[in-house]
Amino acid sequence: MNDPQNESGAYALNALGEAERRDFEAAMRESEQLRDEVTELTDTAVELGMSVPAVEPPASLRASILDAVASTPQLPPVADTGAPAGADTPAGAEPGPAELKARSRWSGSLVRIASVAAAVVLIAALGLTVRAGLQAQSDLTTASQINQIQAASDSAHQTVDISGGGTATVVWSLELQRAAVLIDGIKGLPAGSTYELWYMDDAGSATPAGTFEPAEDGRRSIVLSGVMNAGDTIGVTVEPAGGSPAPTGEPIFVVETA
Amino acid sequence: MIRGPATQRPAPDHLNFDPALTRWYDMLSTVTRNRDEEVDGSTPLVTSEDLLARVAQGDREAFAELYDRTASRVFGLVKRLLRDHAQSEEVTQEIFLEIWQNAPRYEPSKGGAISWMLTMTHRRAVDRIRSAQASHDRDTRIGIRDYSPGFDTVAEDVEVLIESERVKIAMGRLTELQRQAVTLAYFGGYSHSEVSAMLKVPIGTVKTRLRDGMIRLRDELGVTS
Repeated sequence: MNDPQNESGAYALNALGEAERRDFEAAMRESEQLRDEVTELTDTAVELGMSVPAVEPPASLRASILDAVASTPQLPPVADTGAPAGADTPAGAEPGPAELKARSRWSGSLVRIASVAAAVVLIAALGLTVRAGLQAQSDLTTASQINQIQAASDSAHQTVDISGGGTATVVWSLELQRAAVLIDGIKGLPAGSTYELWYMDDAGSATPAGTFEPAEDGRRSIVLSGVMNAGDTIGVTVEPAGGSPAPTGEPIFVVETA
Repeated sequence: MIRGPATQRPAPDHLNFDPALTRWYDMLSTVTRNRDEEVDGSTPLVTSEDLLARVAQGDREAFAELYDRTASRVFGLVKRLLRDHAQSEEVTQEIFLEIWQNAPRYEPSKGGAISWMLTMTHRRAVDRIRSAQASHDRDTRIGIRDYSPGFDTVAEDVEVLIESERVKIAMGRLTELQRQAVTLAYFGGYSHSEVSAMLKVPIGTVKTRLRDGMIRLRDELGVTS
């Protein structure tokens, strides 16, 4: 059994394994003394960080970050952190998982949102918008699938304009043979029609890869159904409701992945 | 073959700052940078905490200013840990987006803005190292990373590159084992088990050395909560 007290230094230096980190955070909840020590050692680690020479990042990074921020929603303030770090839980009040993590000074915001944020940040890094909080389970599933595609070693992406307005970013990985499309600002469709996704091979033969309706705000993230092959072009057309077996309309955007 | 438009997106309007405003920010940034680096005790016009509070309200200009003040610190630390330039850019972008997203949750009563940001920076850079390793280790023997510098490189670099005399002196007060363990963990991003393998000491000992080493540093540097 690990002694949590002995791990405060490793925790502050991010040297614990994932499971140990969780155990340690649970132990922090129980001990004000441990929380105080971690706060001080974390501040000490920041001193080490400040001693590392600054390196000016390229100007393109600034532009890319400011661009991404413009379409990235912020998280709501935490409602339950009225108690300062180090305050004890009132007797009888069972701290929820969110609250107990908020207790630790820094890890509060870091850890709690880590899983959702990881997906959100990756998508946002493409300069796109994903609804804050990803309320619906299906959104979460989509986000985690997109996260996987993004995390693949051969992951690639391209952003293009949609004719008629809006932008589409296609993310793909041939290793996973999956692709996803993140849509922003697409216009709504008349009743009786739908957007349909396609994989098109070198020979020009199109395979349906699912249909979608945009959300009211014109945003949508979709993982394409079916399998992606090397050299495929990914595109979207407007089709009659229910979709077509082969594209009948003009594409509103295409991305060549080769 | 279906064909369609595939054009580059133009730069969004919000990037076209008013030049006068930009100059003002530059000026402000020069005036206040010193405070953030604790070189100069003079009262800044706008603190990073003020900026972060404005960012929490969705103020993108404040975010741009905060970025200008802190990006080289964040990038410098990420690059120290990851080495790879492209990956460092990627992780720096993720960190700043996380700062943007989480700004409403920053509580000034619990510490400075720079501390908050650098703590997040180290965590995220280390996360990237671990996830790169996780995929790497799937098809190779679990063990020491073979794509990152060994202890000698980390230690030498740190010896040469620690800018702050205070930190250098404080590090000099540690025992050899404490200093090696802290250096590998913080500046190398190694986990305790990796440090244990590299220094050939048991994991329990590494944990203890990391703790008493950090406590020693805390006392030498006069860090209080």
